[in-house]
Amino acid sequence: MGLPAVPAPRRGFRLSDRQVGILFMLPFAAVAAAFIVWPVAEAVRLAFHTKSPFSPALTFVGLDNFRYVLGDPTFWAALRQAVIWTVSSTLLQSVIGVGLALLLHQAVRGINVFRGLLLFPYMVPTVVIALVWRWMFNPEFGIVNASLHRLGLIRENIYWFSDPQWAMASVILLNVWKFTPFVVICVLARLQTIQVDLYDAARVDGASAWQRFRDITLPQLKTVLSVVVVFRTIWTFNKFEEIYLLTRGGPGTSTFNLAVYAFEQATANLKLGAAAATGVIMLALLFGGSALYLRLIGRQEE
Amino acid sequence: MRYQTRQRLRLAALYAALALVTVVTCFPLAWALVSSVRPNDEMLRLPPTLVPERVTAEHYVALLTGRGMYFEAAGGYRPKTSPSQHFLSWFFNSVVVSLGTTVISVGVSTLAAYSFTRFSFFGQRFISYFSLMGYMVPSIIFVFPLFLVMVPLGLTDRLPSLVLGYISITLPFCMWLMWAFFRGIPIEVEEAGLIDGASRFQVFWQIVLPLALPGIIATSIFSFIVSWNDYLIARIFMNSISQLPLTVGVMHFFEGVHVDWGLMMAAAVLMTLPLSVLFMLVQRYLIVGFGAGAVKG
Amino acid sequence: MNRREFLKQGAALGGAAALGAIGAPRQVRAQRKTGTVRVWGEPGPYAGVAVEGMNEWAKANAPGLTFTVETLSWTDVYPKLMTDLAAGRPASCISVESPIAFQLMAEGLLEPVDDVIARVGRGRLIPGAKWEYWGAWKGRQYVVPAHHQSHLLVVRTDVLKEAGITTSPETWNWNDLLNAARTIKEKTKAFGICFALGRTIATDYYLSGLLHSAGSRMFDVRNNFQVAFDSPASIETFDFVSELYPSMPPGALGYTFLDVVDSMATGQSGMVFYWGRVFGRAAEVNPKVFETMEAYQHAAHPKTGKRLNWNDFQGWLIPKANNPYIAEVKEALAYYLTHKDWPLRYVHSLVPNVSPVFQDVAQDPRLTTHPFFQTKRRTIFEYYVEALKNASNSGNELLEGINPLAGIVHGRGILAQGIQKVLIDKWSAKNAVKWVAGELEQVRREHIRLLI
Repeated sequence: MGLPAVPAPRRGFRLSDRQVGILFMLPFAAVAAAFIVWPVAEAVRLAFHTKSPFSPALTFVGLDNFRYVLGDPTFWAALRQAVIWTVSSTLLQSVIGVGLALLLHQAVRGINVFRGLLLFPYMVPTVVIALVWRWMFNPEFGIVNASLHRLGLIRENIYWFSDPQWAMASVILLNVWKFTPFVVICVLARLQTIQVDLYDAARVDGASAWQRFRDITLPQLKTVLSVVVVFRTIWTFNKFEEIYLLTRGGPGTSTFNLAVYAFEQATANLKLGAAAATGVIMLALLFGGSALYLRLIGRQEE
Repeated sequence: MRYQTRQRLRLAALYAALALVTVVTCFPLAWALVSSVRPNDEMLRLPPTLVPERVTAEHYVALLTGRGMYFEAAGGYRPKTSPSQHFLSWFFNSVVVSLGTTVISVGVSTLAAYSFTRFSFFGQRFISYFSLMGYMVPSIIFVFPLFLVMVPLGLTDRLPSLVLGYISITLPFCMWLMWAFFRGIPIEVEEAGLIDGASRFQVFWQIVLPLALPGIIATSIFSFIVSWNDYLIARIFMNSISQLPLTVGVMHFFEGVHVDWGLMMAAAVLMTLPLSVLFMLVQRYLIVGFGAGAVKG
Repeated sequence: MNRREFLKQGAALGGAAALGAIGAPRQVRAQRKTGTVRVWGEPGPYAGVAVEGMNEWAKANAPGLTFTVETLSWTDVYPKLMTDLAAGRPASCISVESPIAFQLMAEGLLEPVDDVIARVGRGRLIPGAKWEYWGAWKGRQYVVPAHHQSHLLVVRTDVLKEAGITTSPETWNWNDLLNAARTIKEKTKAFGICFALGRTIATDYYLSGLLHSAGSRMFDVRNNFQVAFDSPASIETFDFVSELYPSMPPGALGYTFLDVVDSMATGQSGMVFYWGRVFGRAAEVNPKVFETMEAYQHAAHPKTGKRLNWNDFQGWLIPKANNPYIAEVKEALAYYLTHKDWPLRYVHSLVPNVSPVFQDVAQDPRLTTHPFFQTKRRTIFEYYVEALKNASNSGNELLEGINPLAGIVHGRGILAQGIQKVLIDKWSAKNAVKWVAGELEQVRREHIRLLI
């Protein structure tokens, strides 16, 4: 390995390692403080005040915003729906993800092409996929209903966005389409580290494919799966755009989650304080989830 | 013999499954593409056909020249002052903002990650947890406080406000990624240079950075994608129609107009095109970045 | 600036001030400004026409300024308006429906426009219209009338014939409407009726028309704005809508304005409640349907006999704060409204959606030269003239007095949420009405300062 020629040591001004270290770290510290720490702190502060968009006044109201939010039946409905949406999405993503990973783990010709296409859904802007989804799932003219008709699976058009159950289904489907690739890639990476001899030994012992999967693959996948599941759960729970851009939380409020609820509080009800309070509740739930995740990787590293 | 046919069948089934997965993955965008070149009279035909009879560029032309973008009335006086075409400005805004954010986030993260992995600091673990936290905090929490700050600073409705806003959603995972990458670069490489008398700067600039380049590229791509795709922050920060990035602009015109699916699908295609190109070119890097833990979603 | 300049300016200003009472143009300061003046309007060509008129003024009087028109989609109006006002970057001139105007007016966010009205001509309104309808508060006018637009019952005569309905909608009451809708659904391929039921302001507007016909109202203007919604009339209205619902396209639960337009224009529904825009759209995309469409005043409520519609009373308002172009906007508005061709072109840009508000425009012989008058003359005058007689508005319930809370109610989609509780969550009309009344109480309590 040819290292580039290094010039002779110069005289004069030279920073010590420690100084360079601090210098390099400063921009990050400043930016992180300004754009991450501070806004979150402000959001927490805002949760204890009322604020209207019409005046700069900020009035302290103690726990009123929290009382308002926690006393609002729509909040609880949103929470319940968020749980349904998160659990269904994550479950589907995990099951389908593992299946796809197994599929892509095969050593066949051209497998890399297929693997390459995998991240495509991730990179599509949510706006785009929401619009395309609306077009595909349009009850009268969309290709989805047309195909279901053609296959004889339905007799009448499904009103994907006017019925609460179907709206939730379409939103979950979008989430699954967009984010299963993550699960696949993580699981695939792990699969590729499992030693092949384990399988060969099991095959010699007469184990079936399912037994090989259950006894060798699955235990090896346990840790990566738990990490992935926790991550996906946290992200899915807090997602705003996937739901809002597709259904606006409708019909009615049947596809609200906490993020959409917070947005509506701010923009429709003009209660920035209540929105911030919802945000604080989301943060609290988030920290609970992350603590769980950290405990898991702690265990993983052992 | 039996084994061979079974193997062949298995292979065929495998390819079939792979093909199905590919279709499902790519179908939405492919359908958008097909719909975007379908003429209007075919668009609302029942039942929908997979392949259009005629192919037309009218939607793209309309999108790029502004013709027929807003409601046109039959008969009557047509004003010469119509809301003008903004699609190209939106495109430009998205590019500028995504680049700006990427430069800042990646630049800052690279420096900091080098620092964290090379020098022992208080709170090393703290940094990694912090990045992780920031990584997962949803933007709905940042948006309104940041907005309330932008207002007195007079920054709202200007592109720099978006760049600043996007930093809050890109910085944590950029830090996380660059940290992971730098951890993977062995220290011995630099030590050789240091022993020879080079300064830290020189070692960083001439030795470490080139090695970190794949990581930097991967992180930049993720940062660009996340900035390009954001809707919420732009929605709240920007007011004038010409200042919107693509995401908000395209959603905006979805709502005031009679639903013109051809136009909308054309917009969808054009919006995804740059990212698709980027994706094709640097797919490799994406998987690499993935491996380092970029499960941002 | 030298002394001569200064004196000249001073004299001009002094003269302008003296003439201010009768509203002579203050051209002095206007001439030096440059920039873009943002004008917002709802989707449609007419805001563009007004802006063109304003630019004509600008070319002659303030060459550095350009007026540009931006469209505010209806679902976006509230959030966008609020964030823009909060950000201190409102458009300089905004055209919205009156409830929104009333809310902003009461919040003290608008510039009074009595001077513009004086220039436009105080006696100029069409009979039956009052300046307050567009927006007056505590003795001052805050909104310049742009047009009025009501929604009426639009039917396809061929579908009615096919369904065997022989009575004219002119004679209908609510029961007749319900039967017609059911018959159409049964006997033809079209749905019986359509209007918006999504969680949007469209739904609120539709419900208001029906509620007012039944005699219900949200707030009692004459009694300190007390909430008066929990009444048998409200329950009856909600029940009526849920009886109509089975004859409507199932997607209506997510519909907003333009979906209803398309429902008629594509032939999906045999009847809709809509503003005049639906005719323009049908003429554009489906002339066969256009030929058969006719508009009527709404079916009468069986007991009250009222056939009320929702009338937007759309006007121009001028945000007061953070608006560098107040004077210029006033000039430009006065200009386009007093140069007779512009109001006429405004009306002609979307017939019959935009109804003329000034007598001279309404009586102009050129008004009827628009091609639609050849086949839809009766319908057009239903919108232009008859509708005004049956006009109502949630911000001015039964035209008995302005209440600024309506805008807030619609921003939250309270009425829409109420009817959705009945149609989606299967609540009883009684409980839904009680829920709405509770929400209205909350709105009133939180915004009591606006009412004082």
